[in-house]
Amino acid sequence: MWQSRPGVLGWVMTTDHKRIGLLYFWTTLVLFGAGGAEALIIRTQLIQPNQHVVGPSTYDQLFTMHGITMIFFFIIPMTTGAFGNYLLPLMLGARDMAFPRMNALSFWIFLGSGIFIYTSLFLGIAPNAGWFDYVPLANAKFDPGHAIDFYCLGIIFNGISSSLTAANFIVTILKMRAPGMSFNRMPLFCFAFLAASWGLLFALPSLTADTIFLFLDRNVGTHFFDVAKGGSTLLWQHLFWIFGHPEVYILIVPAFGIATEIIPAFTQRRVVAFPLVAVAELLVVFIGFGVWAHHMFATGMPTVTVVFFAAATAVVVIPSTIQVFAWCMTFVTGNARFKTPLLFIAGFIFMFVAGGLTGIMFLAVPFDQQVTDTYFVIAHFHYIIFGAAVFPIFGGMYFWFPKVTGKLYFELPGQISFWLIFLGTNLLFFPMHIVGLEGMPRRNYTYPSGLGWGPENLAETIGSYITTVGIVVLLANLLVSYFRGLPAGPDPWHGATLEWTIPSPPPEYNFAVIPKVSSAYANWDYADREEDRRKLAEGVMVLEQGHEQPVSSPVDGWWAEIVEMPHDSPWPILLAVAMSIVFVLLLLHLWMGFCFALAGILLVLLGWHGEEPQEREA
Amino acid sequence: MADYIAGGVPERLVPRTTEARNAGEAKVLAGRRRGPSVAFWGMAMIVASEVTLFGTFIGTYYYLRFNTPHWPPVGTPEPRVVVPLVMVGILATTSLPMQLAARAARRGGLWAARLFLLWALVIQCGYLVYEIHDYVDQLRRSVPQDNAYSSIYYTLLGADHAHVAIGILLVVWLLWKLARGLTMYRLNAVQVVAFYWHAVNLLTLVVIGVLLSATL
Repeated sequence: MWQSRPGVLGWVMTTDHKRIGLLYFWTTLVLFGAGGAEALIIRTQLIQPNQHVVGPSTYDQLFTMHGITMIFFFIIPMTTGAFGNYLLPLMLGARDMAFPRMNALSFWIFLGSGIFIYTSLFLGIAPNAGWFDYVPLANAKFDPGHAIDFYCLGIIFNGISSSLTAANFIVTILKMRAPGMSFNRMPLFCFAFLAASWGLLFALPSLTADTIFLFLDRNVGTHFFDVAKGGSTLLWQHLFWIFGHPEVYILIVPAFGIATEIIPAFTQRRVVAFPLVAVAELLVVFIGFGVWAHHMFATGMPTVTVVFFAAATAVVVIPSTIQVFAWCMTFVTGNARFKTPLLFIAGFIFMFVAGGLTGIMFLAVPFDQQVTDTYFVIAHFHYIIFGAAVFPIFGGMYFWFPKVTGKLYFELPGQISFWLIFLGTNLLFFPMHIVGLEGMPRRNYTYPSGLGWGPENLAETIGSYITTVGIVVLLANLLVSYFRGLPAGPDPWHGATLEWTIPSPPPEYNFAVIPKVSSAYANWDYADREEDRRKLAEGVMVLEQGHEQPVSSPVDGWWAEIVEMPHDSPWPILLAVAMSIVFVLLLLHLWMGFCFALAGILLVLLGWHGEEPQEREA
Repeated sequence: MADYIAGGVPERLVPRTTEARNAGEAKVLAGRRRGPSVAFWGMAMIVASEVTLFGTFIGTYYYLRFNTPHWPPVGTPEPRVVVPLVMVGILATTSLPMQLAARAARRGGLWAARLFLLWALVIQCGYLVYEIHDYVDQLRRSVPQDNAYSSIYYTLLGADHAHVAIGILLVVWLLWKLARGLTMYRLNAVQVVAFYWHAVNLLTLVVIGVLLSATL
């Protein structure tokens, strides 16, 4: 089998999905720290009435960057980039992603876009019109300078990375499954990532088009959003939310996937209603494409439109509820061991139901119009995004920590970190419901005294500090465990899926023998695992002629061919550097240099495709 | 021990396809593998993403149109009808040589594949050269900065031309690759690029249709 190149160069040139997953993990963790620091400054600013920790213009930049960071630079790359990259091939019985070099390219583009957009914050000209960046506020007339240009280009750049990742995941899930893993034998985690990837692939172009229009409006002088010249300001909102609502499901469906792996492992029971949950994961994203205008009930759309979208929003509850019931029934009928990962999943279900219930309230149009742009909305979507998307990420960090590092984490600090985060987030976000109903508007950098909002805001700020302490405990626990933890062995939880059949940490080639799969809970099929060991001893199905990988048919999982995969390559990072240069030149309006940089991209692509698989050394 | 047949085929019968080094081997192995290559699926995903992007552009076009009393607005010239229709018709015919090239490559016909690609390339280049000339010509009469109609008109048309240009670069690259013989990797590439061109031709037809709908 093959080995990775040692040293820093091995990481820079890597095409190993596990290394790329770890690169994503560390990068998104740093960006999570940045987004979290922004949130803490915001909360400190709001701790009592008439505070002046930061001024209004800084505050605008902070909440905008907080939103952009947490959505585009933390949750998407953490779930798809880190968890998806690391785990999908392991669960599918594959040795790598379908397009390993494109996978590396996704990461380097993501890193480039993160540096690009954070440069604006360090220059003090960060985007400042909110993460959804409504025109006309974001037009050149009301927001001159480069702030919104950073937003447009950074989002387009980041979108390229996410689109490539999504395409890579879909093809990996459809084509790289171990032969014999037909669709009904695929773990629910993979269904969730398939759903999220379809969502990304079809939702992102809408945002890309929108930001292209805004960039052209601001820099070329077109009139897409200029009402005086036949444009429309609502066009921005429509295109943004055609992306933005599927985006919500893109954020939480991978979390559903993580939950559907942790629950069977800690209840030692197959998930109740497997096919329904699989279909519900796909459906929730599909229906999620038809509900975008419920973000726009306050814009004066025709009643018939409003009612249609309210009804569609009600429909989306059904697949979500199917999953909640399936999880709860698996808990009830299984033998639940409340270790830290399962605690986070229990917390996730609680937060998701709470956030879901306030979500349903918005489809009552008069209520929605009443609470639009108040803290009630903030409370709702933080219950969903922090509670439902980030809790499983934390749970997943604990759950797969032994697989990734080969060490066990410490259980007691783990449980303490859960309770700190759980109580902290509820103290942080629940009072927002109350001040929201009392009319406190979002995005104002301070509020006057005498309106009765002081105690709730104080509680929220204290909650944010407690949450931070919990997260620090979590990370410290993992860090200490990495050095001091007990050896974990290949399967500390008696997990259900294929990643638990191989050593921890997994070798470069993942599977020494291409595994036999006859159910979605492959690690519990003892006869198959016995057969794998026998085959390894006999040298059957080891495919050791170089970097080999079987390819299967998309539905039945039948053998299609055996292909040679690319090994370490310098081209992905070079291409990402060339693309970063293109975006910087666009920002600076250096059109001539822009053309040269495009030529540079072509040259890099030529080099990339210069080497063919049959020319590589085995 | 018996062969591994859970995937329907014994392991020893599964083709190791990318190892094919010449046209003959590629032909044999292509016949034995099941379904389209992974590269084809990758291109299908990229095309899905691009088609959605154009869908958004076209949606924007009609959204703006239905919010505007006169389309195109008074003072902005209507697009010409006959010449663009003829040109897009000519471009659409290149789907034929592209498909024939893929078919020839699949059968190991290296020279046939090269000639079909060259045939397609000549027409594609002719189309792009004329269209760029025409684009510049139109910019003399109206510019994207005039109004929302011109903005979306030039954006949509320009995005389509960009996709044609990328397709031409891909065909040139293919010819350069095929100059050194046919391998499985290059066979996959011919099939994938042919698919890309079908998508671009279809997109161009739709885009021109949408833009000409302003004259109705």
